[in-house]
Amino acid sequence: MSSSDVLTPESAAIPARRGGGWDLLGSEIAVLFRRRRTWAMLVAVALIPVLLAVAVRLSSSTLNPGEGPPFLDRVTQNGLFVGFTAMVVAIPLFLPLTVGVVAGDTIAGEAGLGTLRYLLVAPAGRVRLLLVKYAGAALFCLVATLTLTLSGALIGAALFPVGPVTLLSGDTISVAESLLRSLLVAAYVTVSLLGLAMIGLFISTLTDVPVGAMAATIVVSVVAQILDVIPQLSWLHPWLFSHYWLGFADLLRQPLDLGSFGQNAIVQVGYLAVFGALAYSRFVTKDILS
Amino acid sequence: MSHNSLRWLPAVIVPAVVVAAVIAVPLQAGAAVDLPDRTPEQVLLLVNDSAMSTFSGTVTQSADLGLPSLELGGMGGGAATESSTASAAGALTTALELLSGSHDFRVYVGGENQSRVQIKDRMAERDVIHNGSDVWLYDSSSNESTHLSVPPDVSATAEAKLGELKSQLPTDLSTPSQLAERFLNDLEPSTTVSVGTDARVAGRSVYQLVLTPQATDTLVASVSIAVDAETGLPLQVTVLAEGQSTPALQVGFTAIDFAVPDPALFDFVPPAGATVTEQIVPEMSDSAAGNGAVKHPGDHSAAAGAVPIITGTGWSSIIEVPAAAVPAELGDNPMFDQLTTSVAGGRALTTSLLTVFLASDGRVLAGAVPLARLQAAAE
Repeated sequence: MSSSDVLTPESAAIPARRGGGWDLLGSEIAVLFRRRRTWAMLVAVALIPVLLAVAVRLSSSTLNPGEGPPFLDRVTQNGLFVGFTAMVVAIPLFLPLTVGVVAGDTIAGEAGLGTLRYLLVAPAGRVRLLLVKYAGAALFCLVATLTLTLSGALIGAALFPVGPVTLLSGDTISVAESLLRSLLVAAYVTVSLLGLAMIGLFISTLTDVPVGAMAATIVVSVVAQILDVIPQLSWLHPWLFSHYWLGFADLLRQPLDLGSFGQNAIVQVGYLAVFGALAYSRFVTKDILS
Repeated sequence: MSHNSLRWLPAVIVPAVVVAAVIAVPLQAGAAVDLPDRTPEQVLLLVNDSAMSTFSGTVTQSADLGLPSLELGGMGGGAATESSTASAAGALTTALELLSGSHDFRVYVGGENQSRVQIKDRMAERDVIHNGSDVWLYDSSSNESTHLSVPPDVSATAEAKLGELKSQLPTDLSTPSQLAERFLNDLEPSTTVSVGTDARVAGRSVYQLVLTPQATDTLVASVSIAVDAETGLPLQVTVLAEGQSTPALQVGFTAIDFAVPDPALFDFVPPAGATVTEQIVPEMSDSAAGNGAVKHPGDHSAAAGAVPIITGTGWSSIIEVPAAAVPAELGDNPMFDQLTTSVAGGRALTTSLLTVFLASDGRVLAGAVPLARLQAAAE
């Protein structure tokens, strides 16, 4: 039943789907992470902490406490802060941008290439394809934030002394625990991006033009953040998917405060449910012409 | 076609369910509570008998006083220049900042002599840690720490004084229980006390003690104190202003746990690289005693010369600070012009709950009364 001989080279890795969704998932992930575009975005994400650290290292002027992005003044004393500063810098625009590109491409990209109908030959194909596409986008969220965390830790350790980390509360934790907290921050940011990824998936089912879906997803994330700073809309703020994006500061308090982690997760689950349902309904009723 | 419309059902149902949950869950949290009826006296007794001395929780404070929103404290650490004037100005800024907008705190109390309050700022935190004879202040945005040590003999006198003062003086108002105590002690014939409808605060059933001023010339409409039905600990204080439907001031727990907090929380060691300022607690003036001098570190000496005068009684009383006792930096503070407006005879700061009148001769009058009363009192 192999239809791979008619697929474009990019999707050629998709084998016969007799093994169920797992094969499809494996090939989707393989295709996603074999793309040059994905690698370029991950390299760009990894460069954020590198740029920050090099700029601080080369600069002769010392920052006053509280100047610049959060934690930047601590970087010279402790390289482990590079990752936290980079996360604060990257989350409003850069990470949503990469997620928008990946999530916007999911369905519309296949439609644009004309490969979508080949992916849908199996009877239960559409729901499964939607789930697989979303899983790929969610995995990208995780990989992107882990890349940022890892690159921050490495460049920080390379250029600056590393030692026990001072939390926001003034308490000091060991290097090992600080690495654990860095991973928690990465987990928090990954969860934060899941809602946006689902919105991107939904937008991607609406169009056959992948660039349009990518741009629309990024616009949605920017609009949500603009709404979040308008005080007259304060009733709306707790329901915006971007509202808790910077809440990972709570993971840097002592004792560990998981309150905003939970609130953030609830909001993201809400967006997953709503936009997942919309994406399902749209995709299963869509006329696949390409 | 009908097959297709069936497939659109999830797109309608799921958002509807999510919206319903968003609306229903808070309603459920505030669902009607029916506790055995109690008289105001019984509720007061409940508070009095409260033996809860260890707990931890999160506190949310929100103020809607009609002040402009001031985002100065959290991020403004870098602006601090000379530490001597900056500390006084900083204390003023912090006080004003806490009176605008809303703030989240985490509070840990491990008995009489151990407490820790964390003010959660965006990407920053301010901590006040009290452990026995040590008081530490820490501000993460400026990475500055202040240490106040209360010498043993002073602390012994303070303990003794504290006992007698506790019933009369407003102690530190950072926890609801202290704020509630203040109001309970202010009870006079001037106030009607009643028990309002039972409610839920921080997931616990509470009695609502409502204090309504009898006086007509005060800006305070009512003060309600939510008292935990089980432990008697005040969990929330809400102050309503005359002619305003949203609370002018509200401090309350959003979550509370009566387990003993980890004792390690109270052992504060300033982090490496932090600027540490040692401050010796000056000799005990009556007003600073027992306060731990947390809110007013060391700036009482200037005010010692001239004592504020209080006129009027109850809710409509007015406090008058003589010109000599007003800190000189007050006028230099850039926020001063921003906050006050020019009125006949001086400048005034009017909020929905409190009015401050700065007479042109340097005196400062304040009270929970309309501005006209302060102007009349200044003459």
